[in-house]
Amino acid sequence: MPLKGKLALVTGSGRGIGRAIALNLASQGADIIVNFFRRREAAEKTAKDIEAMGVKTQLIRANVGDPAKIDEMFNEISTKFGYLDILISNAASGVARSILDVDVKAWEWTMDINARALLLCAQRASKLMEGRDGKIVSISSLGSSFVWPTYAVVGVSKATLEALTRYLAIELAPKGICVNAVSASAVETEALKFYIKEQLIPDTRQATPAGRMVTPEDVANVVAFLCSEEAFMIRGQTIIVDGGTSIDLSVPAKREETL
Amino acid sequence: MSVEEQIKEIVAKIVHVDKNLMTRDSTFKDMNADSLDIVQALVAVEEAFDIEIPDEEAQKFQNFGDFVAYVESHAAEKESA
Repeated sequence: MPLKGKLALVTGSGRGIGRAIALNLASQGADIIVNFFRRREAAEKTAKDIEAMGVKTQLIRANVGDPAKIDEMFNEISTKFGYLDILISNAASGVARSILDVDVKAWEWTMDINARALLLCAQRASKLMEGRDGKIVSISSLGSSFVWPTYAVVGVSKATLEALTRYLAIELAPKGICVNAVSASAVETEALKFYIKEQLIPDTRQATPAGRMVTPEDVANVVAFLCSEEAFMIRGQTIIVDGGTSIDLSVPAKREETL
Repeated sequence: MSVEEQIKEIVAKIVHVDKNLMTRDSTFKDMNADSLDIVQALVAVEEAFDIEIPDEEAQKFQNFGDFVAYVESHAAEKESA
């Protein structure tokens, strides 16, 4: 139980990748704060599954796109626990539109939740991590470096998140805090099913060089490694978990074959 | 102002529709609201009434009337608690 006695906050951990990360860290002994916003039932289920592993869990509802709600969440963590060891900045949202149709409302909504939340959560979390060898991992996506139709504003927000991760890694290093990001290609989640059904991104599920889709558990395994002492010398990096998709130039051709 | 009127004001502002054209039978689709409009309207109403409207519940709303009824019952519950 390498994480026994550690406390982790996983934003957006009711479903998908966040849930898999929360369960993985709990399986290693960490107590987990399950943050959610819109889906209470899903978050309650995650918390129940974590409790069954014999660790402590706390549900906190907060929209991480709202600075006041982030403050309230961290005030609650400060009061109830007074410390934090791991922050996983995973909660994400976005608007699927052509870049020409991205208005100020869509831009701010997406940037506030996907990028600014990491900044504000890291600022508050770093204070709670003093003297505790803290770990911060943000969750990005390949849309930060590559282009999917209608993914523009989310992709830009993820690029911001990755840049923020690098700055945080250097500025927080003297405090003993390791900061990194994990970037995934299309991961088998509800969000992906929506994107494919609406034909907003191509269905590459059959074209992954590794022979299968990336699962939330694949992402969680890498996040867990970055939260371990073995990853101590990795700083400010974005680790790609995509089964080789992004570097295989024959993936588009393979995709055509499957259509 | 009634709960219904307050919600109409909030939704009309976010979705950019004339609140006088909103009835209990109106749907977000009628108002040309996209998914971001809907979630922002839900969040604004939650804050105005200090209640929670999880997506699991919101997805059951057939029209504006269902939305109002949910808020009325939960806001009343909150007051009596």
